[in-house]
Amino acid sequence: MIAAFEAIGLNKRFGGLQAANDVTLAVEQGEIRGLIGPNGAGKTTLVNLVTGVYRADSGDVKLAGESLTGCAMHEIARRGLVRSFQVTRLFGNLTVRENLRTAFLARRPPKTDRHGGDGEAQIERMLDLTTLRPLADTHAKKLSGGQRALLQMGCGFMVPGSCYVLDEPFSGINPVIKDAIIDMIVEVNRRHGATFLIVSHEMTVIRRLCPKVTVMMEGRVAAHGTLDEVARLPEVIAGYLGKALE
Amino acid sequence: MFSTELVIQTAISGVMIGVLYALMALGITFIYSIMRMVNWAMGEFYMIGSYLQYMLVAFVLGPDLWWLAILISAAGVFAIGVVVQWGLIKPIFKKPPEARDDYATVVTLALLLFLRSVATGLAGPNQFTPGSNLPIVMVGPMPMAGARVAAFLFALGALALFYVVLRYTWYGLALRAASQSRVGVQTAGIDVLAVDRIAFGIGVALAGLAGALLAPVFLVFPTNGLITTVKGFEIVVIGGLGSIPGALIAGILLGLIESFGAAFIDSSYQNIYGFLLVLAILVLRPTGLFGERGREA
Repeated sequence: MIAAFEAIGLNKRFGGLQAANDVTLAVEQGEIRGLIGPNGAGKTTLVNLVTGVYRADSGDVKLAGESLTGCAMHEIARRGLVRSFQVTRLFGNLTVRENLRTAFLARRPPKTDRHGGDGEAQIERMLDLTTLRPLADTHAKKLSGGQRALLQMGCGFMVPGSCYVLDEPFSGINPVIKDAIIDMIVEVNRRHGATFLIVSHEMTVIRRLCPKVTVMMEGRVAAHGTLDEVARLPEVIAGYLGKALE
Repeated sequence: MFSTELVIQTAISGVMIGVLYALMALGITFIYSIMRMVNWAMGEFYMIGSYLQYMLVAFVLGPDLWWLAILISAAGVFAIGVVVQWGLIKPIFKKPPEARDDYATVVTLALLLFLRSVATGLAGPNQFTPGSNLPIVMVGPMPMAGARVAAFLFALGALALFYVVLRYTWYGLALRAASQSRVGVQTAGIDVLAVDRIAFGIGVALAGLAGALLAPVFLVFPTNGLITTVKGFEIVVIGGLGSIPGALIAGILLGLIESFGAAFIDSSYQNIYGFLLVLAILVLRPTGLFGERGREA
């Protein structure tokens, strides 16, 4: 079976720092995989490599078996690999509704009516799903951190992607909105069979969402397995968790 | 001396020229807001617009079809802009060097010298003027050259079209989004370099349009874009870099100040009054009337 998403031997060096060191990982179709590790382990570097922000020194990224090497960021997004940012990249002077519309603009499925219809209906659905309807005509820069995170998720889900790479979607967000984001992820995963790779430090959320996790340390993949399996490894305890998970 | 009639006349002519200055400033600020670079060759695109207008009116279409010539001139400058972006600007943005805007400055300054030399080489250091057989029009109590009134109305139409495209179309949405987060639009699957191409084309087309419209008024020669470019930058400083309403309001403000200064102080210093306004703005509000301090990453 071809993995939905695959990184093969990725290397990236910034000056003297080997930020990604022969990183290989494969995520199955429909899987929600956690990516954990200490700060500076190379998690965000990996996200940036697979989504085209950085170009890898060597190695390859495959989406459903097709190589993404040489693709620009927007091409990768159009092929269905969608990402979120730890620091949200919204359009501050556009309204919530316009942000959602922009997300639909380029990635909309072929043969949809871009001047209304399909996109507008999807915007309405997404306003409900994100609970942002009362703020639909508010500029994005006026939203709270949690509301921004919700909107960013909503933008990513405007056109169902095949694979989502989420960089710290839960950091600094209140529990209610955290639950809302988790619900959205589960919904999109169940309904569209979308694959997820989620970078997070929040072990309770990772335990809830991710049957398997990948641990990165010092630029390389240190372990794969269930959260409980990797949490018992001495290397992971010493380099990341500090103590065994309860 | 300070008759009401004179004040009204001065105000009208100030607003009329101000709107044309605003076209130029809008082009500068629009390119900056999307691409975060200043195109120093704006005046040369103005110059190309004025030459195209002159050639079309003098040799091809005749003065009766001046309006068609203006549309063709603006479209021609748009096309040249797209080619320039593709050949000279895009390579800078594709693999961004450390100081991208410095490269853009060097490239557009070189382009400025190149285009001026081409114009001088092809048409000589002569001044041309496209004939206009538009009649004198009474604007309120004041008789005005038909070409000026036509230029004003055309510019208003162009500004309205610009607004509608930006506000109500998908292209406009992509342009507005790109002006706020270049990474964000790429994540949304939009080719930001294609957005740049359109933005650069539209920006220089606004300058070309101003050149074509003002050709019968300010004459056609290789460095005719200089004064208008300086005014464009004055307006951008007054209105705030990257602000579209700022460009419009400051453009009209500059037109008014020049016009009143010329009428009530001394017309030989007409080009200096604007600088006084620039100085005042820099002292009182360095970000310009509508500028924002810093930006979100």
